[in-house]
Amino acid sequence: MTGLEHAQKYWYPVAMLGELNDGQTKNTQLLGTEISVCGSNEESVTVSSAGQLLAVQCQYDHVWTTFSDDPYPLFAIPEAEEPGRRFVPCGVVRVSCSPLRAVENFLDIAHFPFVHTGVLGAEPHTEVYKYDVQIDEKHDEVFATNIRFFQPQASKSAEGSIETEYIYRVPAPMAAILYKTCPPKPEAMDVITLFVQPIDEETCDVWPWMALYDDTSTMADLIQFQQLIFVQDRSILENQLPRKLPIDPGHEIPTKADLTSIAYRRWLKKRGAYYGALEKI
Amino acid sequence: MTTEPIGLAQDLAPKGVMRAQIGHADMAIWRSTSGVISAWENRCPHRGMRLSHGFVRGESLACAYHGWHYDCDAKCHYIPAHPELEPPSTIRPAIYSVVEKAGIIWVNTAGTATPAELPDRLLGLRTITMQCDLSTAAHAIASAAQTNAALFNGSVNDINSDQTILSLANPNGTDGICILFQQPLAQSTVIHVLAHDSYSQNELIAISRWCESVRREAERIMQSSNKVEPAK
Ligand code: FES
Ligand SMILES: [Fe+2]
Repeated sequence: MTGLEHAQKYWYPVAMLGELNDGQTKNTQLLGTEISVCGSNEESVTVSSAGQLLAVQCQYDHVWTTFSDDPYPLFAIPEAEEPGRRFVPCGVVRVSCSPLRAVENFLDIAHFPFVHTGVLGAEPHTEVYKYDVQIDEKHDEVFATNIRFFQPQASKSAEGSIETEYIYRVPAPMAAILYKTCPPKPEAMDVITLFVQPIDEETCDVWPWMALYDDTSTMADLIQFQQLIFVQDRSILENQLPRKLPIDPGHEIPTKADLTSIAYRRWLKKRGAYYGALEKI
Repeated sequence: MTTEPIGLAQDLAPKGVMRAQIGHADMAIWRSTSGVISAWENRCPHRGMRLSHGFVRGESLACAYHGWHYDCDAKCHYIPAHPELEPPSTIRPAIYSVVEKAGIIWVNTAGTATPAELPDRLLGLRTITMQCDLSTAAHAIASAAQTNAALFNGSVNDINSDQTILSLANPNGTDGICILFQQPLAQSTVIHVLAHDSYSQNELIAISRWCESVRREAERIMQSSNKVEPAK
């Protein structure tokens, strides 16, 4: 199976439900193929490619589609059912990089003090403490826990600096879910996800989505906060060489802080998720 | 691979970082606070970030992504995520040979940099990027020199055998300006312009404007020849 054939077996976000209007067609691209999204809500939306209708489902405020007749199921986010959370689709950011590089960057905390200076990190608090990474065998997901990091402004709802706790899930090659300390509700965790639409192997549309406990910030403020973070990440992602993710060890040199990234690359390789990956140097 | 001019030394101040390309080689050139210049492959060994986006701290270049520090020998000596760790000496970007001579930064990506011999008394004027190939740029410069009697006497000499350095004499027939060509990619050419130290400030401004007009002309020629091609 080629990397493309493997990638075609997953569901991908192709639009935000709120951005669609009746009578208008959104033309976009998925895995190198032109597609069209029509309709405006869960009942009416269709996705087609070269005149053929594709399977559609609406989840997490987005429209998802797949090229497969027998796709892997779309991953579950149980927190999406929890009452009291605010669901925040943040729009889209186009990035000229491999979809896999975009996910890997989302799993990386060591860059916070340098790329998100004064917000998600700040010198001299640069140390990445020991954390744990496993493969969750039951769901076949990468799972990183016990991550702690000093953050000056961890979220819109944070008042001043806090030590934040992070948990990451990678439920599909082009999606990642972050659980992080929720400043107004210490017993719960905020959910921030990165849904990636692979345009082609070296271009992606990134759809951040959040499920937060925050009753005070305005929607616009929450979206703006997250958009700022992703625009900062884009300045990195568009300057990594090579543009595809080197999936074999040896081309890039990781350290202990990169345990999640190492596990992610191994997990991609094991399942043959080579779309957007550089296999041989 | 030959030694290529990649920039004017005066355009890279202490604590400065710049990017240069020669063919497929993408490089970061930087100058430490004390003035030491280095030319490296433009790829951090950690996660591939272009080092030309990094920042200089003292005698180190810090990568923009995770802040790894590299010293002037390209050795990584500090990883902020692990402040106590002594990084393995194997962590280093590929380095290129770089020298400064006659106000020019010269790089060789596959051997020791040996700068071309240039006439004396030249000073760096400016670097210009042209969206055209090298021969179009060279032709545009030569024909523009013929028609500007106020600045040049029309004679154009190749200084080196591969015609990548031209010298244009001034109206008295003595040394005028010297143009060094660098070809980063097939469709773009960078020229580094040096002018004789006897030119007045006003003449230097005129030469600088002349360079701009040459760039526009070269790009116009290139565009019209590109338009013809599909018909072939
Ligand atoms: S990519 Fe340069 S420090 Fe990580
Ligand atoms: Fe980031």
